[in-house]
Amino acid sequence: MTDSKYNQYAALWPRGPRQTKVKPLAKRLATLEGKTVAWIWDYVFRGNEVFEQLEESLRERYPGVKFLHWDQFGNTHGSDERNVVANLPQKLRELGADAVVSGMGC
Amino acid sequence: MLRASVAAEAVGIPSATLVCESFMTLAKAASQGLGFPNIAVAPVRGHPGLQSKEVLQQNVRELTLDGVLNALFKTPAMVTVGGEPGARDIICSGSFEAVNEYFIKHELSDGLPIVPPTVEKVEAFLKYTERQADEVLGVMLPDNRAATVWSVAVNGVMAGCRPEYMPVLIAAVEAMVDHDYGVEHSGNTPGGDNLIVLNGPIIKELGFNYTQGVMRDGFQANTSVGRFWRLYLRNVAGFLPHKNDKATFGNTWRVVVAENEDVAAKIGWPPNCADFGFAAGCNALSVGRYTGGNHISSVSGATPEELLPYIADAVVRQYSWQIMFSVGQGYDTLRPLLLLSPIIAETIAAGGWSKQKFREELFRQARMPAQEFERILRDWTQKPTWNLTEEHAAGRIPKIFHESGDPQRLVPLVWRPDDFQVVVTGDLGRNSIYVFAHNGVLGFPVAKEIKLPKNWKALRGERG
Repeated sequence: MTDSKYNQYAALWPRGPRQTKVKPLAKRLATLEGKTVAWIWDYVFRGNEVFEQLEESLRERYPGVKFLHWDQFGNTHGSDERNVVANLPQKLRELGADAVVSGMGC
Repeated sequence: MLRASVAAEAVGIPSATLVCESFMTLAKAASQGLGFPNIAVAPVRGHPGLQSKEVLQQNVRELTLDGVLNALFKTPAMVTVGGEPGARDIICSGSFEAVNEYFIKHELSDGLPIVPPTVEKVEAFLKYTERQADEVLGVMLPDNRAATVWSVAVNGVMAGCRPEYMPVLIAAVEAMVDHDYGVEHSGNTPGGDNLIVLNGPIIKELGFNYTQGVMRDGFQANTSVGRFWRLYLRNVAGFLPHKNDKATFGNTWRVVVAENEDVAAKIGWPPNCADFGFAAGCNALSVGRYTGGNHISSVSGATPEELLPYIADAVVRQYSWQIMFSVGQGYDTLRPLLLLSPIIAETIAAGGWSKQKFREELFRQARMPAQEFERILRDWTQKPTWNLTEEHAAGRIPKIFHESGDPQRLVPLVWRPDDFQVVVTGDLGRNSIYVFAHNGVLGFPVAKEIKLPKNWKALRGERG
């Protein structure tokens, strides 16, 4: 008969060391009045329709809000993802974006 | 979506990420690896794919709108990420059962018993590589962890591998961290899993099955290396079900498929690794990710011309939404994989067809009507704007997808004959094939050489 309680094992941590440092979020806005919101899309799950509805609702609350259409940035999912995301900061700055709404995580 | 939001946050632009309610746990887990654990998301009720226009609009007004405003206006509380053990830390001691209970409780196991990774066992693995234990092979999302040689050995022990599999495991992880493979997508909802295809003398040397039942568990080398891949995805990349792994259904990990190089050589077909640029006779592996596949039984005919229509038809039938990796989300990233049983490959070769000729004829015959191709693209996620005419006019796809305006014209699944991966393996005497549905850019095939240490023969001799 084998009694496994006499076989003792000292087991190692199997995960790799985390490389990420926690970073602070950007400063939040006080209002959208006079601000420019960029729609960023992964081209799936009716994000275009969601953005349209959000745009309509936001205009009702903040008549001076402006929007940047998603087709100015490219597809954030698929074969173009890395390039599109890498170029995003520069493009957002060039186009004067004050805020980003990115979808669709579904 | 989160990665785009993080790119904005990093340069001082506040973001709101639209996330379906059932993806909130995933978003929380993924945000840690991205370095913004307190990033705010805005909820999307249910799934837009199943809502009428009116319901979708109502849901956006009632729920998502407030979520967007909260995310852009309110600063979320800072979240700290807890410390973790070091690579050489002992995290538990005890019996086989106690160690396994600990690993299951702490989500470090796939649910099967693991071999306790002790220092002695890990060091036995490290003898089979000239790489330094702390060498970093790459860094992987979503957890953003370093893939070290040490962690390869630890997870190899856990998976039930033998120490001499270490060069194969390292090559596998080199493929996993390759940007072209796209490991960060391994938790996406289609839930596909990888397949490792092995080539070279190491197949026989390490006892990989390359004949009957090649995709069946039951052969230590094939099975344990396949299990290793999934364990490494969990423990180092960070893909845990109900967290960063959002597979709708998922697949169990696949055992390694080794090619029958004897048959391939006999019929004059280059091995799979040669299609990735490695010389025949080289030890190498390729890895791609597949959402599923199907056994195509009893491929019958005395000539390649008689066999091909059935094979081509079977290939087309494995592909539905995945064609969007050819035209759509992932342009030119679809790479179907076919396993041909040896007797099928021999019959095709006996008709004078090279492997390249087989691929060219497959490319010519594995086609579907253009209007069907477009219908699938449009039905998938209800996006109305994709059609082949516009895609071709915009210069995004080659002419072969739009040689005329006839909606009944036949269009290929892929851009070129070489996009088909063809591997000879399986039962020597059965006339069947297996067709895998490829997951495109979310697991693009990559290949790596398996590098043996200079003292490989001596090490192997030691084991007698």
